[in-house]
Amino acid sequence: MKSVLGDRKAITLLLTPALVVYTLIILVPVLWSFGLTFFTGNVLSGFEFNGIENFTRLWGDQYVHDAFWFTVRYALLVTLFQVVLGYGLALLYHFVLRKSSVLVRTLVFFPVVLPTVAISILYQKLFQSAPSDGLVNELLVNVGLSSVDWLGSGATAFVVVVIMDVWRSVGFYGVLVFSGLLDIPDDIIESARIDGAKTFSLFRHIVLPMSLPILFASFIFSINGTIKVFDSVFALTGGGPGNSTTPLTLYMYRTAFQYSDFGYGSTIALLLTIMSLIVTLIIFRSSRRDNTV
Amino acid sequence: MTNTLETTAVSTSLRFEPHRRTPWDRAKHVLRRVPAWLTITFLIVVTAYPLFWMFINSLKSNSDFLSNPSYAFPEVWQWENYAIAWETGNLATTITNSMIVTFPSLLLIVILGSAAGYALEVLVFKGRAGVLLLFLAGIMIPLQMIVLPLFNAFYQLGINNSYLPMILIYTASGLPLTVFMMATYFRAIPREIFEAATLDGASMIRAFFAIGFPMMRNAVVTVAIVQFFLIWNDLLIALIFGGKRDLNTIQVGLLNFSGEYGAINYGPLFAAICITVVGILVLYLFLNQRIMKGLAAGAVKG
Amino acid sequence: MFTAERRRLRKPMLATAALVGTGALVLTGCAGGGGSAGSDPDALEFLKNAENTTTEPVLRALADSVCSDQEAAMPLEVNSIPQAELDAQVQLLATQDGLPPMFSAGGNPAEGAKLWDAGYLLDFDEALTDLGVRDKVAEGAVSTIEKLYGGAFNFLPFQYNIEGIFYNTAMFEENGWAVPETWDDLVALADDVEAAGYTPFAASGEQGWPLTRLVSGYLFRSLGPDALQKVADGEAKLTDPEYIEGAAAIADLGAAGYFGDNVTSLDYDAATNEFLTGNAAMIYMGSWLLGNINSDANQIGADSVGFMKFPAVSGGAGSIDEYPSNVGLPATFGANTYTDGVADWLGCIVENYGNEALQQGQITGFIADEPADLPAISQTVADEIATATDSVLWFEALFNAKASNISSTNAALLVTGQITPEEFMTLVQDALDEG
Repeated sequence: MKSVLGDRKAITLLLTPALVVYTLIILVPVLWSFGLTFFTGNVLSGFEFNGIENFTRLWGDQYVHDAFWFTVRYALLVTLFQVVLGYGLALLYHFVLRKSSVLVRTLVFFPVVLPTVAISILYQKLFQSAPSDGLVNELLVNVGLSSVDWLGSGATAFVVVVIMDVWRSVGFYGVLVFSGLLDIPDDIIESARIDGAKTFSLFRHIVLPMSLPILFASFIFSINGTIKVFDSVFALTGGGPGNSTTPLTLYMYRTAFQYSDFGYGSTIALLLTIMSLIVTLIIFRSSRRDNTV
Repeated sequence: MTNTLETTAVSTSLRFEPHRRTPWDRAKHVLRRVPAWLTITFLIVVTAYPLFWMFINSLKSNSDFLSNPSYAFPEVWQWENYAIAWETGNLATTITNSMIVTFPSLLLIVILGSAAGYALEVLVFKGRAGVLLLFLAGIMIPLQMIVLPLFNAFYQLGINNSYLPMILIYTASGLPLTVFMMATYFRAIPREIFEAATLDGASMIRAFFAIGFPMMRNAVVTVAIVQFFLIWNDLLIALIFGGKRDLNTIQVGLLNFSGEYGAINYGPLFAAICITVVGILVLYLFLNQRIMKGLAAGAVKG
Repeated sequence: MFTAERRRLRKPMLATAALVGTGALVLTGCAGGGGSAGSDPDALEFLKNAENTTTEPVLRALADSVCSDQEAAMPLEVNSIPQAELDAQVQLLATQDGLPPMFSAGGNPAEGAKLWDAGYLLDFDEALTDLGVRDKVAEGAVSTIEKLYGGAFNFLPFQYNIEGIFYNTAMFEENGWAVPETWDDLVALADDVEAAGYTPFAASGEQGWPLTRLVSGYLFRSLGPDALQKVADGEAKLTDPEYIEGAAAIADLGAAGYFGDNVTSLDYDAATNEFLTGNAAMIYMGSWLLGNINSDANQIGADSVGFMKFPAVSGGAGSIDEYPSNVGLPATFGANTYTDGVADWLGCIVENYGNEALQQGQITGFIADEPADLPAISQTVADEIATATDSVLWFEALFNAKASNISSTNAALLVTGQITPEEFMTLVQDALDEG
């Protein structure tokens, strides 16, 4: 039997195409990009070697520090909301709405597929304060509060970015977790009910443990996306005001393509990669402990 | 709607006393359902209203938008905003471009990804775990880490001025997650099924195409949908490799569109967004049936 | 179209070639070098910054009249992208060999000079001499271009602007306000304007540069016309106290609320609108604003707009007659896409642009030899340009791309008090030091 499963021809034919594309487009450029960190310059002007200057510059660059902390704050907050609210949605779909959840699921999922730029422009106008108030400020004024220049300061712009990205993606996590909940056999829950388990303990002892794998998957998926946030911030605030909403991704983009420094851009990208790597490792280490699946 | 809600709420009621219902019980039932209804109403409003708001504002003149509350209906319904948006927004081109880069990438991702997932999970060979780990590493590598060398390479090759860079990068960057997901799905299928298929002289390759891939139809749809909106909504790669006007995707086109009008022409701007939203809505409703079918089938199997 | 069709058919082959090629490249690890020549354009595509709303109407008018033959052979297509993204976009297009025949560039002159050095731009000295229209461009404009863009005549002065403060004359008369001569007068005036319930200055914080223009205006008056040249040459730093004073003066205007609420998120159009609808008394802007002033969007009427020089700073080294001048964010032609059809267009544009623009009430760097009936404000500005004794540049003119970007993205924070003048100047100076 081994021989059949070890069919060389099959392995070669099925695995090679994916591996070749992946190696050439991802792995090799990663190494190459690492090499670029020791250079300065761009495609137009050519490159010159500058040793570890990029790294010393990275260490002392206030903009990198700001972008790093913005990325961390954003990723943690948005991931938390995405997973928790998504889980809440999934429970609602599965245990409250049951068969009739299709409509709500469809609707809440919808923003996920919209182009980010479209949503960003929509949110710009929703939260607009000049020249006329957008919907949010109109509501605030109507309930007796004063209007806020949402995108005019870093703190409030951050709030708008977070609200927008959670609104945009929570439906996806709802469906993702929901599909995991479907795998919990109904008879287990039924029998627990017949044994007289109350709603909360049912959730605590059966539903939650059994949905841990899917929660874990959502968490990985989410943190992976949020740490690389680019498009929504780019289109909503452009990283401003000042650099208050500039994540590492955007700083890297500006450095490479606006300030024409590919070398330093690669160095920032490397920092981002290391961040992703550390986060992934932490997740896997912690999952080994509390995930027996 | 309320009827179905009623029945489901009754069926999910956690009371298992096969006794007659007293009015008090019934009242408790209704009360118990109130939070759920409130939640649902809230969800619907929060999701749908901004889109509706955008739609009514896409039909307003500028002075109307600037001088009246934005939640009011238009004074005059300016349908020509849509014509203006279509003209100035270059929408025909951007929508076509988004499709040109998305669908070939999806096809490649699905075929290459499931084949690799099958090879890594079902077949047995040395270094299998290592290769899977290599793919796994790709999930976390940010695109920022690969764009600069690729930009350089594609520039040297002289293909920076085509759809190719986008398609290649989308395909490659979609593979890790797809391989990982497909491998996970294949893990659920006993190997004996594939072995049995090879007894009548078929090879493992045949087994993949005859049994593996069809069996995975729902998984493939799920994977394809996840990848679809990752690619469809990408901005970074589209910005870098599709900056030329005739390569602009929807995302880049909208970005430039907003620049062209700034704050001055709200109507056409909202109209342009509405057009892309409606297009996606149609596609989504069509795909959505597939998603739900896939998930339902999975549930039945489970 | 045909080339695109052909290209699509060759795709699978190309993909394989690309993969193999990428591999080969990685092995050799080569860098530098240029792309292949662009294909011949079938339309005169003009990529411009969205903030420029004056050039397109003139080009359209030309296409409909004197250049109709060229329009029939090669239709004019105009595309706009936000100014903030323009330099990055042009860099990208250049490396992708995708530069259109005509494009705006060099929001930072340093970037424009880079393109020239890399050989992407047409030499207008040569091209216009060949076409026999070299005498259609004003020498003053050519020298400004040479001063900014690396010493060559490599951009076209579709705009030739002086900058100053436009004000609402009707509002001034009604309230008995006098045109301020000094900075202190201006601040006192702003206070009166605010007390009267208007916004003193309309300015777009979203753009940022309308605010930093005030900083440089102050510096030129307090330290003299070479204030920023000294910074560029490294003889002075923006963090020197006398420079910080300039940033502080503008921050004080913001702190007093003279820019109105929401200055941070006000975009360019909205700020212009504030002035043209009579909500704001003054707006610092270049003479390109005349296009808007003479358009239907102007609700206060062109006759109610006056133009004043940036006031003097008491005891300062600069003179009130030194106008900030520039050629806008100028447009140029790509060297690789300069075909006979494009040359034909170029000749027609240069020949007729000056007159057509003047008919539309704009002042450009092209010679206009037909008298036009100008609105009073346009006449005023034209006279100012004719009598100006000396000119200065603007705040970011000599900065590198990064300093320029940082300056305009942080300007709104400066006037809303979210960062101090010292912090602002330090941020910009740091970016200058890096470059």
